[in-house]
Amino acid sequence: MNLGQGVELAKRVEVVTSSEGEVFDVELEVDILKENRRLADENRKRLLSKGVQAIDVMGSVGSGKTSLIKEIVSRLKQSYRIAVIEGDVTTTIDADILAAEGVPTVQVNTGKECHLDANLIRKALDVTPLDRLDLIFIENVGNLICPAEFPLGSDKRLVVISVTEGPYMVVKHPMMFLDAQVVAINKIDLASAMGVNPNNLSADVSRLNPKASTILTSCRTGAGIDEVIRGLQLRHIA
Amino acid sequence: MHELSIATSLVEALLEIAKKQDATKILAVQLKVGRLRLISLDQLRFSYQVLSKGTLLEGSRLTIEETPGFTRCPNCGYAEQFEASDISFHLTLPNMKCPKCATDLKIEGGDECVITKVRMTIPSRPSEQRVTKSA
Repeated sequence: MNLGQGVELAKRVEVVTSSEGEVFDVELEVDILKENRRLADENRKRLLSKGVQAIDVMGSVGSGKTSLIKEIVSRLKQSYRIAVIEGDVTTTIDADILAAEGVPTVQVNTGKECHLDANLIRKALDVTPLDRLDLIFIENVGNLICPAEFPLGSDKRLVVISVTEGPYMVVKHPMMFLDAQVVAINKIDLASAMGVNPNNLSADVSRLNPKASTILTSCRTGAGIDEVIRGLQLRHIA
Repeated sequence: MHELSIATSLVEALLEIAKKQDATKILAVQLKVGRLRLISLDQLRFSYQVLSKGTLLEGSRLTIEETPGFTRCPNCGYAEQFEASDISFHLTLPNMKCPKCATDLKIEGGDECVITKVRMTIPSRPSEQRVTKSA
């Protein structure tokens, strides 16, 4: 201990230091998001071991995630055994819509959270009949920001945006598109009414993520749905 | 507002660190958060303050260092750093194609979210040399 000017004093007086505790600095590198990633990896391995493919569907509120999943499910349910995990803050409205397609659905209500995380998906997988499935769609909470930070353990990410959200959705939320395999630009039947050119949105996506397939869709006319299915490059079932 | 979940993970990680070191109080925490993470630092600080109440983190100082986004070309080695001062970054598209050879760029930095330093009070145990004493 460097007593400086007090050294003379220390020679004459017994110095007792406090034993309550001392202050230490600990240098380390603890990744805060690691726990979610670890759980996501567990989910991924679990799905792989059961031979189940999982697609994480993300996009803002009202972009048409549920409608697109419904269209895809109705085209694929003859060839794949499908289930849907529905993430919402509250209600079972979306799960009810998809259950009407005759596929098992699990509703995950996040309560106060604005995104699904790997732990919630782990719990949802516990109540999903994985042994009798080939394919799971996970519809994330409507939000283009928060879900980007929380991988769930899915094989692929499908991002849905729509022309009704305006011409700048991609530019404003670049991070969401970086890890997507397929981007659907939805509601193209409304493009001229909105004065939005969907090809510009498509060009924005390509610049940001050259590997993603970007597809113009309309759940009302059925345009582009088959291309989205091709873009997902699902494994064929024997 | 996913900052609340991130702050929850942060508080849990810190309590775990404190337990391992037998600390009785955490005084200061240093975080490194990349600019490519979609984390609002103000919301993170606020959530941290709320969650640390009633724990041994209460009243601790949270310092956050921001790290710039950094991409590199795996083919020709071209590297690009997103300007740390460019507050408009989230409003402009990062171009993920290498301007030299058109290969897809890889993100090499700016996506971290790590605890780098913790200052804490640890009751003395002279026989053990666990950590470096602070200056």
